[in-house]
Amino acid sequence: MDMSATATATAEGRDLSALSSQELMRLEKAIAERFMGGLPWGAVTWGLGNLAIWLSLWPLTLLGALPLWAAFPIATLNVMLCYLPSHEAQHRIIAREGEPLFWLNELVGHLSTIPMMLPYGVARLTHYEHHKHANHPELDPDIGTKSNGPWHMIFKSIAQRQPGSAAGKSYGATLARLGTDEAKRAGLVAVVYQLTYLGVLFGMAWSGHALVALLVWWLPRQIGVTYIQFYLSWAPHHPGAQMGRYKDTRSFRSKVGVIGSMGMEYHIIHHLYPRIPLMRTPAAYWALRPVLEARGCDVKGL
Amino acid sequence: MQKVLGTLFRFMPFLFGIGFVAPVIAQSIQALGWTLPYGIPPVAFGLVVGGAWGAFANWSGRWI
Repeated sequence: MDMSATATATAEGRDLSALSSQELMRLEKAIAERFMGGLPWGAVTWGLGNLAIWLSLWPLTLLGALPLWAAFPIATLNVMLCYLPSHEAQHRIIAREGEPLFWLNELVGHLSTIPMMLPYGVARLTHYEHHKHANHPELDPDIGTKSNGPWHMIFKSIAQRQPGSAAGKSYGATLARLGTDEAKRAGLVAVVYQLTYLGVLFGMAWSGHALVALLVWWLPRQIGVTYIQFYLSWAPHHPGAQMGRYKDTRSFRSKVGVIGSMGMEYHIIHHLYPRIPLMRTPAAYWALRPVLEARGCDVKGL
Repeated sequence: MQKVLGTLFRFMPFLFGIGFVAPVIAQSIQALGWTLPYGIPPVAFGLVVGGAWGAFANWSGRWI
């Protein structure tokens, strides 16, 4: 790859309809390359810092230094924010295998999702399947969030957490379908996570701290998981009717803005180029938008 | 071990009802300063409600 060509690649002012599909792909890749590389220290700080804040809520509330009415919204925000740093790690954006800081990638991946009790191995393996089979009615582990609209999505998110829900078992079913040693290990870790989570809840509850467990963990987790599913799983893929590189994801304008939706307005860039760090996806989107339009992507929302 | 875990998770809604919902109810009553009729201890009330709700969730497959 000619680095000088990559550094200056742009779709601005060009008649893309005159380009062949191959030329369009070369241009697309050259533009995308501009936004890759480097270590996203922001994601590292975000992931580990967010966990540190959540962990600090426990002694602060148990010692009476922080009232529960104040801890609850903080804990809820902690869960809402905990997934995306792990997501960077899942895609080896922080560092790749073999690189000196790969341990940091894995550390962020494993630790940042503790508030939502989603083991890193489960998250990574199922997320890769989501990328491979986005919107597939049977093979996309996140297809259960496909809904008619925002309220229907919230209803489905809660329904899937009921004990009898088949959709709620989609991650386990995906691991079983993969059947690899890695998938089996991830499943075992998930069992350990679940038992630990329940053990902490039960132990806190019966030692007189039920309300702390409720408001620092259980309820924030319910709200946070629905929020994450809403913006990371449902909104960017809605209506979820098409599959394919340029059809399975859309850009959209969120009522809560780019920060409130955690940058998911630009999630289409992530599905096209998973190694572009989250915080660069807005800039990459605007640079690539003419190409995405030429490719027939749904970018009318943004 | 797989059998033990399988059984444990099959009855987890009921166990959650007793293990978490019951003390949450009991301690909420205490935190609100409520007194239950007939001197019913909050923990007993919590166990009845939590246990019944958990049993319902186990049988029906849903809490709500």
